[in-house]
Amino acid sequence: MSLQICLRCLSRPSAPSQIRLVPTTTNKQTAAFTTSTPHAAAGRIQVSQMKPKRTGNKPTATRPVRVKRLSPKNVPQRTGRPPAPGERKALRKRVVLSNTNALEVQGMPDLNPWQLFDKSMHGSVAGLPDDVVDPLRVVEAFKPTQGWSLFRRPATLVRSETVEMASWVQEVHNSQEGKTVRKVLFGERGSGKSVLLLQAMAMAFSKGWVVVNFPEAKDLTIGHTSYVPLYRNNQLYIQPHYTASLLAALPKANPILADLRPSREHNLPISVPPNISLARLCDLGKDPEIAWPIFQAVWSELTAPSQPDEGEGLVRPPVLMALDGLHHIMCESEYLDRDGKHLHAHNLALVQHFLSHLSGASPLANGGMIIAATSGSNKAASPALDFALRRNEALASSPGADIPAWDPYRKIDTRSLKAMDGVEVWRIEGLSKEEARGIMEYYAKSGMMRQTVSDTLVGERWTLSGGGIVGELERGSVRMRI
Amino acid sequence: MDSPLLRRCARAVTTTHKHIRRRAATQQCRFYADQSDFRAAAPIRFDQPRAELLDNDDRSRGRRDEKPEIDLYSLRIVPASPSYFTATPQYTDDLLHLSTLVRRHKLLPHLPQGEAPRIAWKTIDQYKTEKAEPVKMKGYNALLKLLKELNYIHPSLMPEEVKAALETFKRDVQPYLNVPKPLTVDAYGVSIAVGRRKSSSAKVYLVEGTGEALINGRPLTDYFGRLHDRESAVWALKCTQRLDKYNVWALAKGGGTTGQAEAITLACAKALLAHEPDLKPALRRAGCVTRNPKRVERKKPGKLKARKMPAWVKR
Repeated sequence: MSLQICLRCLSRPSAPSQIRLVPTTTNKQTAAFTTSTPHAAAGRIQVSQMKPKRTGNKPTATRPVRVKRLSPKNVPQRTGRPPAPGERKALRKRVVLSNTNALEVQGMPDLNPWQLFDKSMHGSVAGLPDDVVDPLRVVEAFKPTQGWSLFRRPATLVRSETVEMASWVQEVHNSQEGKTVRKVLFGERGSGKSVLLLQAMAMAFSKGWVVVNFPEAKDLTIGHTSYVPLYRNNQLYIQPHYTASLLAALPKANPILADLRPSREHNLPISVPPNISLARLCDLGKDPEIAWPIFQAVWSELTAPSQPDEGEGLVRPPVLMALDGLHHIMCESEYLDRDGKHLHAHNLALVQHFLSHLSGASPLANGGMIIAATSGSNKAASPALDFALRRNEALASSPGADIPAWDPYRKIDTRSLKAMDGVEVWRIEGLSKEEARGIMEYYAKSGMMRQTVSDTLVGERWTLSGGGIVGELERGSVRMRI
Repeated sequence: MDSPLLRRCARAVTTTHKHIRRRAATQQCRFYADQSDFRAAAPIRFDQPRAELLDNDDRSRGRRDEKPEIDLYSLRIVPASPSYFTATPQYTDDLLHLSTLVRRHKLLPHLPQGEAPRIAWKTIDQYKTEKAEPVKMKGYNALLKLLKELNYIHPSLMPEEVKAALETFKRDVQPYLNVPKPLTVDAYGVSIAVGRRKSSSAKVYLVEGTGEALINGRPLTDYFGRLHDRESAVWALKCTQRLDKYNVWALAKGGGTTGQAEAITLACAKALLAHEPDLKPALRRAGCVTRNPKRVERKKPGKLKARKMPAWVKR
């Protein structure tokens, strides 16, 4: 059993870490016999001996003659336990969903997809029910930069876009022939794209769909997870560890998978019993070595036609697949191929999987939704995607409108352009004044905003947030307490 | 009469006593003019031979009939104005003339205090150069006081002589005539104003609306990432609680983010004043009306920046 040692200060952790998000291959064993603090342990190297001695006390043009420097004896000693591997990342990514100091808003309705068509719900804030919050947390739908930690319980505004989304969910749910809605959400930073994705996922969870979420497309292309070329395929690369973590989260977020069983045989590297549930199959996929074939098997099962008459476990619900940060998969990734050139993101199997569904090349037999959202704050440079969004928007607005044309003398990523062909795009704009009023009343009722919500205040905040951009509205009303 | 001294006598020459011959010792010499010889020269007649070639009789015959003989020996030249005997005759004359005008037109209706047209009068140095006289400051101030009093006469009833007198004392270029064009609201309800700060300038089109704001075609949040800058750009509307009543279209260039935001502040305030002039005291209290004159100070030789000196070396 290997003992973990921090390579910087050669200290050992005194307690094992509890939280881990990214699957690691190292075995975590801590020294149970340790009673002294790591710093008191023998073999500790002084910090001063590790750092090179500073030279250059000579006067320069801008520095006075005498420079006071700390002598090596006076360097402050670092005390305390250094964090375990993954602890800092966990702290950074943790999402707090409750603030006990905020007031509870009495009479706040829950986000019920069947009730969203009621006109009275529009413009008010609806809370997320607990049975939806847990799966959303597992799929990492909540982001740490969002303001969930300011209020008593997680709640979102029902805006016109939410009602539209609910109507599509309803349409897909009620359709017999497996209707698929494919959308790309784009708009200004803070306009509420990620929260709209969350609302769609919440509606899907409450309707019993299977939800697959890629919370940050950046994680797919940044090169931080392992990648392996597919057997006898130089073009496609799989990402075993990422796929394994995806499969690990799938049954936890979708308990319905425990009730489903495969409808046919799959050629898998390991032998699986024939009546295995899909949840158990996903659990088997936690091993990175076999994660990709198992993922393919699970996916083919989910997109197999639903056979409710055959027996139990062969009913297939619709599938919602969501991705945030589309720009990152529409350009070159950080991975390198054998020649040392950067891989295009479309050469990654998971990315290809998502994009084939987004473009409609791979249909969903039981219907569902494929939604992608761009990120205003975390954007990769993808002129092709920006152009495709403008072009698709122009095409959808009116057939005779001027459709932007790309300068033929400038290079463009044709693969990304082709991937966006025929994809519906949806511009998310600011709230209306009534919706702004609704959310400001929620802030006031929660006690996080002390001012009285009047027309003047609503108008002022609406203008200062650039026409009702929700993120800016929240920042100006709740975060900046002037 | 040729001599300048005699030319300036406005009044007729008077002789106070009878013609007395007094011959001084100088008269013995033939070079000094005798009384009988001292007479005005005859006009040059080109058709005749030169005077010295004529006889005395011819000369005297021509002059005696035309004009009476002036006894220049006993001539008393009286100056036109008694101020000739002062050190500053023209100044004294002006002062007296203006005093006369003031006294004469004292009963004419005057403008209320503070509403007289603003005039740039000649400075004392300009006046002294013009008149070539050693006028003192105290004296000139007295003159200015009279001018200002005359300026208060109602313009519709100001006499011509007063107007003429005031004109001579006005500076050639009147800086107060250079008034800025008043900002108006045009037929479409738009008012346009320009504001500047540091090296940024902004032009704002303000129109009644619902509270939208676009800077260089981009929304407010897109252009100004900082909330502080956003608030200062529309501060004129925010502090008067009119954010939801007007739409702003701004074009900003030059400088940096905050400079452009502050430039838009000033322009927005000016444009708002075109719509609602009564808001001026409120906007002044909010600090939107004055153009901040601060600029980046230039680097000077011998220093590292505008003020920063290089390290002091003892020797």
